[in-house]
Amino acid sequence: MNNAAIARVTESLPLRVARNDEEDAAAEARMAAQSVLSIRHLSKSFGPIAALKDISLDIGSGQVLGICGENGAGKSTLVKILTGVYRPDEGTILVGGEPASISTPRQAQERGIAIVSQELSLCPDLSVEDNIWLGSLRVPFLHKRPELRQRAADTLALLGADYIDLAAPISSLSIGERQLVEIARLLTRDARVLILDEPTATLTDVEIDRIFAALLALKREGRSVIYITHRLAEVFAICDRVSVMRNGELVTTTALNGLGREALIELMLGRPSGEMYPEETRARGAPALVVEGLTLPGIVDNFAMTVRRGEILCIAGQVGSGAAEIISALAGLVHDANGRVMVNDTLLKLGSPARAARRGIMFVSGDRAAEGVFRRLSVLHNLVATRLGDHSVLGFLRGGALRAAGERLASHVGIDRRRLRSRAEDLSGGNQQKLAFGRSMERQSNAVLLMNEPTRGIDVGARAEIYRLMRSLCEEGYALVMASSDLEEIVGVGDVVLTLYRGRLVKQYRRSEVTMHRVVADITHPADGTA
Amino acid sequence: MKDQTLPSTSRDDWRLPLPHSTRGRVLVAIRFAAVLALIIAAASTPGFFTTVSLFSLLNTTSFIGCIAIGMTFITLSGNIMSFALGVTLSTSGIVFIAALPLGLIPAMIAALTFGAALTAVQGVVIGYFRANPIIVSMAALALITGCATLITQGRGVYPAGDEAALLKGRVLGVPIPVAALIVTVVVAQIVLSFTQFGRQLYMVGSNWRAALAAGLEPARVVLGAYIAAGLCAAVAGILMAARYSSGDMELGIGYDYNAISAVLVGGTAISGGEGSAIRSLTGAFIIAVCQVLLLLNGFSSQIQFLAIGVIVLLVIMLQTLADGG
Repeated sequence: MNNAAIARVTESLPLRVARNDEEDAAAEARMAAQSVLSIRHLSKSFGPIAALKDISLDIGSGQVLGICGENGAGKSTLVKILTGVYRPDEGTILVGGEPASISTPRQAQERGIAIVSQELSLCPDLSVEDNIWLGSLRVPFLHKRPELRQRAADTLALLGADYIDLAAPISSLSIGERQLVEIARLLTRDARVLILDEPTATLTDVEIDRIFAALLALKREGRSVIYITHRLAEVFAICDRVSVMRNGELVTTTALNGLGREALIELMLGRPSGEMYPEETRARGAPALVVEGLTLPGIVDNFAMTVRRGEILCIAGQVGSGAAEIISALAGLVHDANGRVMVNDTLLKLGSPARAARRGIMFVSGDRAAEGVFRRLSVLHNLVATRLGDHSVLGFLRGGALRAAGERLASHVGIDRRRLRSRAEDLSGGNQQKLAFGRSMERQSNAVLLMNEPTRGIDVGARAEIYRLMRSLCEEGYALVMASSDLEEIVGVGDVVLTLYRGRLVKQYRRSEVTMHRVVADITHPADGTA
Repeated sequence: MKDQTLPSTSRDDWRLPLPHSTRGRVLVAIRFAAVLALIIAAASTPGFFTTVSLFSLLNTTSFIGCIAIGMTFITLSGNIMSFALGVTLSTSGIVFIAALPLGLIPAMIAALTFGAALTAVQGVVIGYFRANPIIVSMAALALITGCATLITQGRGVYPAGDEAALLKGRVLGVPIPVAALIVTVVVAQIVLSFTQFGRQLYMVGSNWRAALAAGLEPARVVLGAYIAAGLCAAVAGILMAARYSSGDMELGIGYDYNAISAVLVGGTAISGGEGSAIRSLTGAFIIAVCQVLLLLNGFSSQIQFLAIGVIVLLVIMLQTLADGG
């Protein structure tokens, strides 16, 4: 890895939640106690494919167990077995030392195992209180409402979320607050083990802190948490132990003290991590994209930037800061955006993605399902989606030329060409994102590639490949602009880093100047009165 | 997990996907059983395998088929279905009859243009303004029915001469409606499989927003799909008007329903982005076979409606199960 980048990343690693030694010691002691949930020799196959092989795990009361692994490592299958969606082929699950059969989600709930789902299962129009009790078997037909209200309030207070108004409709809450309500809901059902699957993917830093605080409160209560994440910094911040999975097998379960970040990546990949972030490009060209006075009513105010060919410019900001919206606006997806945008020295009128595309502006979205891939179409058709016109005569496609183009692009982005016929939805998240990159490659050499959280929900291995792809595009003369809320990535990848706070530009850094601390400070509470 | 799925090894374009899961295989088996049941029912129905009933079967298929092909474009584009193709058929037929004094070819062109124009307006509203396609088609149904009834005073239109008689004949021993259906299917399938527009139609139907973000122009593609649907409906309208030697608002009644049944039975995904003209033709054929069988066995048209309703319901359940597995 690029040494400077490592230094900058590791220097600021113990991110938010400071763990004191006392708490560590207490966690160690509890770890030894009898485990709440144990898994013994669990295996599960789908047809010829073994998704889980002989997995054994223990989780003690008051413990946070992290589960890491690349996409396809078997994490979600494990979760689905624990929550009764799938049944294991072999192996046993012990709850509190007793063998337990969990064959339906309802049985899982009765045994106290609950998942905080990513697609939150809350009713947006009902109040917080109603959502907490909705469908709960613990509410008798005749009940005293004030009593239930008090219990709901107590549960929220336990999570440090007593500022949430019980009467407010869910739709008025932020995503992070909704997660807290969801956790409270599960707690009122006596969930002993809570499973969180990538809970922070869509949260702002402040909200992540709140979730972490809630998890610490859960620990103190003696509840256990299984925490699945791609973000390594979070593993170090919140977990007591981490289980690493690879190809359906459990590589190891280990305590986190003493384990380095590089070592963890190596465990996940099964090989040395190599260069996560490739070297920066040597040659920079002329400005490819110049933005002045970009304004999105209510979101972004008077934003300006200049991106040169061969460089990656990163816009750092929390969710809601306007970083993602700037990218969308430049891609033409926001209808009320105003501003002067010059692409290769000619003016571009915003508001139409097709017009932007004709001028060489490509867009890769982090929301692959919604605006990235055509899930039902083949890999080939996804790759050539934007260049049908180049390979057709009078509107008729030239099949051979298209196939050749698809094969070339597939090898370019690192997708096995035997998968050209597979449906896009059968690919992992990382490979799906590579399709979006493949679609944007080999345009004119002075193209501009806009990216919005391009590595969201993508595992470490595929991330490294995507960063390499981004660099190779730089070499071709592309100008790249990326909005991201993953600070590690921003510091690792950006040649130029802009920090954004509530729709305003805070500062601009060059690669040599940027550190994670500065970026965090800028995007959370800038000092110079920009707020 | 998905990542470990073995790559499909089939080489040909028309691959036969045999699912890995037990459930998927059961579903395939159910489909085979259904077709088998249909064949047995046909074989055991006296009079089914006679020239008269087979020609009537093909005629029925050709009208349902044309509309179903048109509907396929709409369904593929992600706009579910239209309730206004039946009235497009009727009104195109009226225009055809009314324009016959100008000659056969000009009348056909007039009818096709009229049909395409009717659906193009809906395509603009749905594509560019993102209006709900079902609501738009219902509004169009009411509007077109109202205007047409007002203009024709609710009466049928009859040709003065017999210019349209030519369309009742045969080419190479094939009845003209059947020949027209074959041409429509072939052209539609070529457009879908081998043109830029066809490919973009699948993309827009699969994911409208992704098509927009990729720099395509989904609104234009949706408009194209509606124009294609209107042309298909007009073809059916011309054929039917020629067959009955009249243009009448009654002609197209029930065809929306039969067509969408055919599209679904054929296996085109109601959510868009997946399906083909060939599939819809198969669906239209199956629906027509059911209708003829019920007719030959002496069931009333109410029972026919009921039977097709049951079939569509079963097919949708099968599709949902297949998607879930």
